[in-house]
Amino acid sequence: MKLSRIISILDAEILCNVKDKSNVNITTACGADLMSDVLAFIKSEALLLTGLTTPQVIYTAENSGVNVVCFVRGKKPCREIVNLAKEKKIVLLATKTPMFESCGKLYKNGLTGCSEISKQ
Amino acid sequence: MKIRDIVKTLGLKVISGEKFLDIEVTGGYAGDLLSDALANSKKGNIWITLQIHQNIIAVASSKELSGIIIVNGRKPEEETLKKAKEEKIPVMISNLLTYEVAGRLYEIGIR
Amino acid sequence: MKTLDHKKPSKTQELTYELKVEQVMRKNVTTLKPDSTMKDVRRILRNNKISGIPVVADDRLVGIVTIEDFIICLLEGGEIDGKVENRMTKNVVTVYSDEPIVQVVGKFEKSGYGRFPVVDRDNKKLVGIITKGDIIEGLLKKLEIDYQKEEIHTYRASHIFEDVISDNSTLILKYRIKGGEFKKAGEQTSKLRKSLLRLGFLPETIRRVAIATFEAEMNIVIFTPEGELVAKIQPDKIMVNAIDSGPGIPDVKKAMRQGYSTAPDWVRELGFGAGMGLPNIKNYSDEMTLESKVNEGTNLNFVIYTKKK
Repeated sequence: MKLSRIISILDAEILCNVKDKSNVNITTACGADLMSDVLAFIKSEALLLTGLTTPQVIYTAENSGVNVVCFVRGKKPCREIVNLAKEKKIVLLATKTPMFESCGKLYKNGLTGCSEISKQ
Repeated sequence: MKIRDIVKTLGLKVISGEKFLDIEVTGGYAGDLLSDALANSKKGNIWITLQIHQNIIAVASSKELSGIIIVNGRKPEEETLKKAKEEKIPVMISNLLTYEVAGRLYEIGIR
Repeated sequence: MKTLDHKKPSKTQELTYELKVEQVMRKNVTTLKPDSTMKDVRRILRNNKISGIPVVADDRLVGIVTIEDFIICLLEGGEIDGKVENRMTKNVVTVYSDEPIVQVVGKFEKSGYGRFPVVDRDNKKLVGIITKGDIIEGLLKKLEIDYQKEEIHTYRASHIFEDVISDNSTLILKYRIKGGEFKKAGEQTSKLRKSLLRLGFLPETIRRVAIATFEAEMNIVIFTPEGELVAKIQPDKIMVNAIDSGPGIPDVKKAMRQGYSTAPDWVRELGFGAGMGLPNIKNYSDEMTLESKVNEGTNLNFVIYTKKK
């Protein structure tokens, strides 16, 4: 699924855009607020949906090869974290949509989850 | 929709509150931060989470949630199960992750 | 040096011409006097974890005594109180502090020695000591500075091992971590990750090292007053050691269990401490050992083998 499609489905705001990644293709998604769990099961190049807004979200994305992070349920990180994402070349989005609905809408539109894609 | 229907459709394993599966589910809430769940979940919501700590029961009980689905096949701590039984909260386990569980519930009309 | 004569040198090779010995050598050298004893040799080798000690008289280098010399002394039943001057190598191969690294690399290749004392060209005084590891570390640091200006892929630092050193030299990188500093937790792993990228390891290998190291860093920040990450990098494997100064894990077996955690609620609300850290490290590494003593600290080691390209 194209990034632009995800942005429109979630009615998301772009907090940090990265050159060359503005229309990156996303093959799978994962939603969680616990970073160790994200590290345990997320696939490279997945979309990470989270309500956590600490610097560790960015480091988690960097270390696991995630290109796009979307903050859900109206959460927004501080400027320092946005700058950190810029430095790490990670696209940041923010949506007012809660986690449940964000997952639901993307899933319904055909974006597969990390546990299903690994079985394919 | 009742919890019983969700258990059936998603193939969940019920580990607590078997007697209370006729509770009506009003909507879904997904998340692993207890403070967020406390602030944003609504009465009758079914809660999808990775957390297995006993505090999840306290949150579910005080917000009058209809039940908890623990994802990724995680087994809750003994203390959590004990509290769930005391508080009469249905607790289920799914082998899928939050994204897929929320996705499937959304597909069958839970909002 | 197989590749130094190539027509178009890589960036790493260029750097071996640019960098001087004094920029990468170790300056605080432990030395001995000719009348020091072999007992002193044993003590310094053991305490400083080094393999060779220069012998100095009146600021001039007069010899070098190595771990081999000590072993031979023992094997021959030599006096442990005997003087160093009778056991040391007297014709020491030295390098000058203003020599370019490329010449030293050549000397390492030819001589087979593990280290060279460094002397000042004018007054011949001992000013430092240099090993192959120091050279790789120096090159890597230099690349890190230059890297700020350019993209990784234009760099080709990836063949640093093949280009510069052909044997199994170990590159050691150390990172200090302060406990409780949540804002910075993850920074040190990020630095290690960058170095591994520059060294040209496969993305999947780097991902595994980065995730396991990140968890180890988080544990130090969450649970301990301070700690250190030491990464030992070889072409075929990456070894990471995470050591901290307490409080230690009372039950290591329990701590290894998925979902077991002693983290306070506020840590959980920061998205960590749900008992997945150590299991993650175990899953992403090929070998892992964990030793811990209550009130003393924890010593975690893990190894990740790199895949052949």
